[in-house]
Amino acid sequence: MVSWSVAAPAVTAAFLASLVEVVEAFTIVLAVGTLRGWKPALLGSAAGLALLAVLVLALGPLLGEIPLEILQLVIGVLLLLFGLGWLRKAVLRASGYIALHDETAIFAAESAALTAAAKRQQARLDWLAGLTAFKAVVLEGVEVAFIVVAVGAGRGLLLPAGLGALAACLVVLAAGLLLRRPLARVPENSLKFGVGVMLTAFGVFWTGEGLGIPWPGADLALLVFALIVLAVALGAAAILRQRPVDGAKP
Amino acid sequence: MKLLRIILAELRGMFAADLGLSLAVLALVGLLALALDQGLAPLWGGALLLAGVLAILLASVWRGARRLGRRRG
Repeated sequence: MVSWSVAAPAVTAAFLASLVEVVEAFTIVLAVGTLRGWKPALLGSAAGLALLAVLVLALGPLLGEIPLEILQLVIGVLLLLFGLGWLRKAVLRASGYIALHDETAIFAAESAALTAAAKRQQARLDWLAGLTAFKAVVLEGVEVAFIVVAVGAGRGLLLPAGLGALAACLVVLAAGLLLRRPLARVPENSLKFGVGVMLTAFGVFWTGEGLGIPWPGADLALLVFALIVLAVALGAAAILRQRPVDGAKP
Repeated sequence: MKLLRIILAELRGMFAADLGLSLAVLALVGLLALALDQGLAPLWGGALLLAGVLAILLASVWRGARRLGRRRG
C-alpha cells in the first residue's frame, strides 16, 4: 500500500501538469466543435485517445524490464530536459520576454485557420477538422503520458500519477461542458511556472537516485529541491523584470 | 508518415527545444557520473547536481532574454 505522503508529490505534479496540457487540447477541440460540429471534434479526439492508449499499452510493460537505477537515471535526465525547458519559458514569460499563453487567442487563431480552410476546400473540411482535434489530443496527450510515467515510474507510482492525470481531464471536461468556451481564466502561466519547478525538482531527485546519491531526508529532499528551484526561478524573473538584459531588443 | 513526423517534432520540442540547455544537462550528468565513479562523495555529487542544474537554468534564461528582448513594459 502506497502512503499518501509518498504519492502526493507525484499525484500533484501529474494533476497540475496534465491540467495545463488538457486545457490546451480542450481549446483546440472546442474550436473544432464550435465551428464544424461535434462529430468531427469527438471522432478526432476519440481517435487521438485510442492512439495514445495503444502507445501506453505497448510501451508501458517495457518499463518493468528496465533495472530501477537505469530507469531512474533516464527518467531523471528526461525530466531535467523537459522541466528546465518548461521553467525557462515560464521565467521568460513571467519577466515579459515571451508573450503570456492566452487560450482565448489560441481559440481565435484555430477558428480562423479552420474558417480559412473552409473557404479553400469545403469537401474535405470535416476530415481536416477531425484531424485538427486528433493532432491536438495526441500532441498534448504525449506530454501527459510522459509526465505520468516520469513522476510515477521511479517509485512504482504509475497508478496514482495516472489517476492524478485522469482527475485533471475530468476537471477540464466538466468545466468545459459547463462553460462551453475556452478556459481562459485558468491561471495557466502560473501553473506552468509551478509545474516547471516540480518537474525540475523531480528531475534532480531521480537523476541523483539513478547516480546512487542517497538524498538526506529521502523523499523530503524533493520538497527542499522544489523550494530552492522556485526561489531561484522567481528571483531570476524578478531581476529580469527590473533590469532588462544588456543587448536585449527594446 | 506526416503524423509521425509531427509527433517526433513534438518530442524533440519537449526535450531539446533549447539545444544549449540540453547539451549542458547531458554534460553535467555525464561528468557527475564519472566523478562519482572516481570516488567523489555522493553528497557532494548531489550538491553539485543541484547547483549545476540551477546554473544551467539561469544561463539559459539569460541567453533567452538576450535573444528575445523585452516585449512588454
